[in-house]
Amino acid sequence: MTAPATERALCRHCLLPVGGRGMRRTIDGAAELFCCYGCCLAYQVRQGHGEESEATWLLIRLGVSAFLAMNVMTVSLLVYSGGFEGADAGLLPWVHLLLWVLATPVLFLLGGPFLGDAWRQVRQGRLGSASLITLAAGAAYLYSCVSLLAGGDHLYFDTATMLLVLFTLGRYLEAIARARAMRNLAPLLEAEGQWATIVEGAVESRRAACELSPGALVRVRPGERFPVDGLVVEGESQADEALVTGESRPLAKSVGAPVIAGSINLDGPLLVRVTCAGAATRWARISRAVRDALGRKSPIQNAVDRVAGAAVPVVVLLAAATVLFWWRVVPLDQAMMVGLAVLVVACPCGLGFAAGLAGSLGIAKLARRGCLVRDGGVLESLAAIRAIAFDKTGTITLGRMRLAGIETDGVATDEALVRAAGLELHAEHRLAEGIVAAASSRGLTPMPADQVRAVPGRGIHGICGGAPVAAGTGVWMRARGWQIPPRLAARAEALEASGCSVVHLGWDGQVRALLWFDDALRPDSGPTIEALRRRGIMITLLTGDLPAAARRMAAAAGIDDWHAALSPEAKQDQLAQLRRAHGAIAMVGDGLNDGPVLTAADVGIAVGGATDLAREAADLVLPEDGLSLLPWVLTIARDARRTILTSLAWAFGYNLFALGLAMSGLLQPLVAAGMMAASSLIVVLNSLRMEHGPEPEAMVGTAASQNARPPVSSGASASAPI
Amino acid sequence: MTYYLLVFLAGLAGSFHCVGMCGGFACALGTDAHGRVASVARHLLYNAGRAATYMFLGILAGSFGGVICAADGNILPALDGPLGSGQRVLTILAGGLMIVMALQILGLLQRFHGAMIGFGGQALVGAMRNLLAARGAAAPVALGVVNGFLPCPLVYAFVAQAAGTAHPLTGLLTMAAFALGTFPAMLLMGGIGRMLQPMWRRRGVRFAGGLILLLGLITIARGIVPIDVHGLHLAQQDAPALAPELAQ
Repeated sequence: MTAPATERALCRHCLLPVGGRGMRRTIDGAAELFCCYGCCLAYQVRQGHGEESEATWLLIRLGVSAFLAMNVMTVSLLVYSGGFEGADAGLLPWVHLLLWVLATPVLFLLGGPFLGDAWRQVRQGRLGSASLITLAAGAAYLYSCVSLLAGGDHLYFDTATMLLVLFTLGRYLEAIARARAMRNLAPLLEAEGQWATIVEGAVESRRAACELSPGALVRVRPGERFPVDGLVVEGESQADEALVTGESRPLAKSVGAPVIAGSINLDGPLLVRVTCAGAATRWARISRAVRDALGRKSPIQNAVDRVAGAAVPVVVLLAAATVLFWWRVVPLDQAMMVGLAVLVVACPCGLGFAAGLAGSLGIAKLARRGCLVRDGGVLESLAAIRAIAFDKTGTITLGRMRLAGIETDGVATDEALVRAAGLELHAEHRLAEGIVAAASSRGLTPMPADQVRAVPGRGIHGICGGAPVAAGTGVWMRARGWQIPPRLAARAEALEASGCSVVHLGWDGQVRALLWFDDALRPDSGPTIEALRRRGIMITLLTGDLPAAARRMAAAAGIDDWHAALSPEAKQDQLAQLRRAHGAIAMVGDGLNDGPVLTAADVGIAVGGATDLAREAADLVLPEDGLSLLPWVLTIARDARRTILTSLAWAFGYNLFALGLAMSGLLQPLVAAGMMAASSLIVVLNSLRMEHGPEPEAMVGTAASQNARPPVSSGASASAPI
Repeated sequence: MTYYLLVFLAGLAGSFHCVGMCGGFACALGTDAHGRVASVARHLLYNAGRAATYMFLGILAGSFGGVICAADGNILPALDGPLGSGQRVLTILAGGLMIVMALQILGLLQRFHGAMIGFGGQALVGAMRNLLAARGAAAPVALGVVNGFLPCPLVYAFVAQAAGTAHPLTGLLTMAAFALGTFPAMLLMGGIGRMLQPMWRRRGVRFAGGLILLLGLITIARGIVPIDVHGLHLAQQDAPALAPELAQ
């Protein structure tokens, strides 16, 4: 924009010309121009909507107390600067009384909560920062009251009130920083309080979602969140499921499509039949998990609490010693002020919330991408991880058996496939899905089959087109007396040795085709492992599968170190060995069949959604197809740990330094309180830096997973890769 | 006394600026359901809160200036008689700062942007929003107190002036005079509930900027010219008598 045009532009708030260079800010997505920062803030105040909450009442108390305390301060400063000497000395007692009148409400308004906290702590047999503040403010106030009654001159109402104002301000800042950390989590946490519009005949009514039972009909308007899991029975729309599954693209929803609680209905109104409501939905489970994680204390937090708890009595003794020491040199009230400064400056407020705030921010950041952690401590141990062991099936592979090739003996490939698909339509075996999918992807119609019987562990047989058809293991075929052509038998042996699953298909008493399956590598496995290695992590593969299959997958994913044919116990031994060799180790699995192994690792990571089973064993649960998020999670964990450690180092150092100053009598209690409020602010700002941390850049990998085609081995002339 | 009158006038003229920036809050405070008296009380409370913050800033700035001058070994009653060298430097600095602020208000200098860190600004915004929405009778006081801390070139100009006076009492009185100057317009805003035409406000803001510029120049002149500026003479004995009333 050219200069003259800007000069003529008006401030969005006060409507005056913005002059030379205006201030550009994007507010709620709209680019606005202001004449100064004050107007920018004022505009935001007028735009938004406040809410009368618990925090507002704290704010009003704080504001009114600040009003009184500032007046106390003003009058006190006038008294100190000699405003009431000489001719006006007669006014002094009245001024003192005025100070008492102004200061006393502050003691009740702001001192009350601190006193309550201190009392609770004392009854539990410990001392905390609230005790220090209560002691300091109470001592200053009571001393001043006694002095007032005795007609003395040394009043410290200003110290008592300002102490309380500054410490409450510190607490308020901490509270809004917390609220800010939680702001983006609000949709995740509000699952329990959802309301739904119920349709019963022609009547629509609002009801709490947790009271609904499966089968009820719920109307969801565009822009609303689905309050329940269900199936669409009417309407067409798109849904944004990012909150629950981490899927960032909008998904089309038409009649019959499943919708999940917590996702947003984007376009059109939908009528949904409830399949699952209340606490049973995945949304509610995530909500509960996040709340639990936020409510738990991490090991660092516990350690800091212990240190702070032990420090407080020491500080009280130090303060008492300081008063006694200075009393020999200066009058009691001055000695007491030095003691108060010691009490105030040693207050471990910043220490108290440094670890918690950064941990909450990290948990919140991860949860928004569907990554759930057990508690803040997981972030700390994750940051210290030196090695990661991966499970194979379902973790670095898709865990779905894919038809990799067909070899036939004297019949056409399609002829074999239609029969196989016809049989397997009736089966629930994990290979069956792959056969049916392969047939439909080639546009083949499965041949109808009847009298279908499945023989567990062996195969399936039935009648197709009047002839008996069977699909299963080679051993079973021989047991049935069906002949296997030598070429196919040799091929089957070779394939089985390389780790593939092989199905023999035959009809009319002879095996006529081999179908072999393999598990496809997740398309994001390779890049993820590469990214982890760049972060200095040692990678290994632990699997119960055959060495041949493990070697193939490890090579494809770029893993050099692999251990195959391990029983769950052997996996645990292997983990212990790796831990001795490399340090803290994480185990990544699907959480279903490797629960004990996940528990044995320093951090157990489950990929594949929030199944309850996975949650029990895993410390960190990644969303389905969320393996590519792992490097990002690691970055966030390391960020959180660094933030916590720098905050703690700062708060400890600052407190110690200020303690030295205070004990040597160089610090006024008020300056000390100001320093503590500043320290809290610095810890808050340091923690909030985490909000600007990196976002996962590798989300694209998940979108490609459905279309990926891994390489297929097809050696023989008659084999047809699918 | 003339000096405070001048500051009062500058505050009065400065209200053209206040009306643009903070007038909206006075309008939003609106009327009280308990009748006219309650409404007036509401607005008085809001303005009292604002004034308390200004006066607090004034006495802090004055004390700060005093401490700086005391380091020089000269503890001189402010605005009266020849100035010590420390106070002279301070006066020139304060005057310079006022001129910078005046030029900003006149739009001749780039405005200060983002003087506060983002989190501080957001905390202020959130606090004022909630206080505006609160119905408690004490909320307007709290709103006024927080409003006083909103970054504003006008306030900064007078805080600089207060620091230049190098004494807690004179610093307090400077800011008190300024606060009183802004009262009529802000109280009126609460009553009529709508803004002046931008055209008129623009002229008013220019007038205010000019007056602050003039004050800045006078302040600098006091620092440079080693004579007693008679027109700005403050009778020393007036001051203490004023203090108790102001404090209440």
